[in-house]
Amino acid sequence: MVAFANILVGGVFHAAVLFLVAAGLQLVFGVQKIVNLACGSFYALGAYFGVSFVGYASTAGLSPWLIMPALVIAGLLLGFVGPPIERLLRTVYSRDESFQLLLTFALVLMFQDVLRFVWGPNPRSLDSAYLVYGVINAREFSVPVYNLLVIAAAIATAAGFGAFLQRTNYGRILRATAENRAMAEALGVDVRRLYAVVFTIGTVLGTTAGALVVPTAAASLDMAIDFVIEAFAVVVIGGLGSMRGALAGALIVGLIRAFAIVVYPEAEVLAIYVIVIAVLLLRPAGLFGRQAS
Amino acid sequence: MSLSRRSLLKSAAAAGALAASGDVVAPAIAQNKPVRIGILAPRSGIAAAPGENGIRATQWAADRFNATGGIAGRKIELVIEEESSPKDTIERFSKLVQQEKVDCVQGIISTGAGLALGPVVEEARALTIYWDGTTQDGVDEKIPNPRYLFRSTDNECEAVMSSLLAIKYWKGKFATVAGINPDYSYGRNNMAAFVAILNRFNIEHKVVTEQWPKVGTMDLTSHVAALKSAKPDLIFSSLLFADLPVFMKQAHAAELTKDTKLVLPAAGWQHTLMKKEFTPEGILFGHNTFYFDNPNASPLAKEFVAWYERTYKDYPEWEADRAYFAIASYKAAVEKASAAKSGWPSQNDVIDAMAGLSVESLGGRGSWRKDHIAEQTFVQGLTTHNNKYDFVTLGTFETMYAADLQKPPGANFWDWIKTAQFKV
Repeated sequence: MVAFANILVGGVFHAAVLFLVAAGLQLVFGVQKIVNLACGSFYALGAYFGVSFVGYASTAGLSPWLIMPALVIAGLLLGFVGPPIERLLRTVYSRDESFQLLLTFALVLMFQDVLRFVWGPNPRSLDSAYLVYGVINAREFSVPVYNLLVIAAAIATAAGFGAFLQRTNYGRILRATAENRAMAEALGVDVRRLYAVVFTIGTVLGTTAGALVVPTAAASLDMAIDFVIEAFAVVVIGGLGSMRGALAGALIVGLIRAFAIVVYPEAEVLAIYVIVIAVLLLRPAGLFGRQAS
Repeated sequence: MSLSRRSLLKSAAAAGALAASGDVVAPAIAQNKPVRIGILAPRSGIAAAPGENGIRATQWAADRFNATGGIAGRKIELVIEEESSPKDTIERFSKLVQQEKVDCVQGIISTGAGLALGPVVEEARALTIYWDGTTQDGVDEKIPNPRYLFRSTDNECEAVMSSLLAIKYWKGKFATVAGINPDYSYGRNNMAAFVAILNRFNIEHKVVTEQWPKVGTMDLTSHVAALKSAKPDLIFSSLLFADLPVFMKQAHAAELTKDTKLVLPAAGWQHTLMKKEFTPEGILFGHNTFYFDNPNASPLAKEFVAWYERTYKDYPEWEADRAYFAIASYKAAVEKASAAKSGWPSQNDVIDAMAGLSVESLGGRGSWRKDHIAEQTFVQGLTTHNNKYDFVTLGTFETMYAADLQKPPGANFWDWIKTAQFKV
């Protein structure tokens, strides 16, 4: 039972981080119809910047207890990266999806070089931050409080996002634009501005996820590509463009992976893609995706 | 003298045949040109940090050699290309050889790239010295009896050494073992070698779980949970990229490191990231062929470490030694062949001079076997917090020469383990 709890918490933690990245991917696709491979780069950028930001803040006297809020701020500050990249993506909005994929993959490679240029080839980490909030120990069960805080942050993001999309006027405009861009434009919606806002929110979700995860792991040059592959598995399972799908997909991937690691470690990756294939065969639009008419 | 088209073609054909034979002696004018050394090393991706370590050491060595006349009087010029996927690495190797006309290619860290490139090196007849890319799998099939290729160790010596030391230190103190190793030939071979050596010494043990995370996995919390639920007395891990400190951090948070013995044969690749706060004392920790804080280090090694610290605010790891060994070996071989021939030697002369050569490297003396396999000194020991750094170093440590850790030429690794006379 204790082992089960350890594995469950490990799986949910992985799902929480996956959700934050996949939510950005979903939002951008849902509204802008852009498959943004660079969401993994935003995740990596957030991780690197988080290390530097907390490093400077700590030197300036930041209390260790405020590390997590500082990381969230670091992620939010990186929102400025969104508008110029969205401006670049305008060149491919009306072009074939392959152009979008090529351009966003080019961004992944360029970001990797920028990260290496700024932070160097060595992985960067925030070691002392991980256990600053302590560890919950109960018999054989142990979980760092930081992991629980990241899970809480992901739940809060999911709930906040749901409320924003469903209950605010801007959320309704956003959904309307996702539904029918031409009609929204005809009704006076400044779609260009809205796209810039949506892309910036997507960027911030990725950078904040990267910043939040760095105390538990390390910022490394290849983390962008590694994570984006799993984020796409989440999107395929949940359904492209669906926020509820992102949540369900992240939980499925996180938990399947965690239990596969215990039951049959050789199938850690296989188990995820068996689910992906099953979803593609049985429900091609994903669990929460809209079936093509 | 008039030069007819026919005589020009004849000369070109003769020159081509001579070049292909590898016995062409460079004309006197070429001796004023720099010696061009092509470097193939990763500068991005998962192996960027060791790649950069190797490049820095090569540049340091080239500057040092150039200050005292270069190689046999010719200055060294480096041409650096990226090592990435096997396919791209092969293309860049061809570029170095055909377009850049380098005299020697050095580098290669990835096992996959190294194995794929081996046959291409032989086909191109271009002297190539690998820094790393060690494996015992697929070598006999892909690169049997190489002429132009010189490789680092013939099997994972660090796994053999740490297995022997684990038995020496902890025999009778563990019954259940677990593994968490990278999911490619290096990790698989390391774990298999560990188990084979336990069997060789009749150490009763039970493997309770084997974890194979993909290289570079940054969330290992589920793997840690799986290891914890298996309750091993000892964990063997050849994780060696940024995933190793992440594993240690997450294992420490889950209190997995508290009562479990840890054997980390390749931890030295990330030594500065192995912080004291999550890396306990008493772990069996491998620095491969170079331990930067070795109190018995040579003046050469001390000079290099001081330069590295001054220049990069960092401390070098074993890839620096491998890279230095490669370029120092090439210099020694050229100069040996040059002295014997009283002129700039041909590639074949250099190759012949390399086999059996012994040179001083950063980690100590190293030599080349007749079958073009390197033999160097390995360092492993138990971690301590008693130092001036924020990461662990070695308290007690031991050194072993590769001759005692790798199979003899032509032998099968697994058969050799069953019969080898180990010195520990």
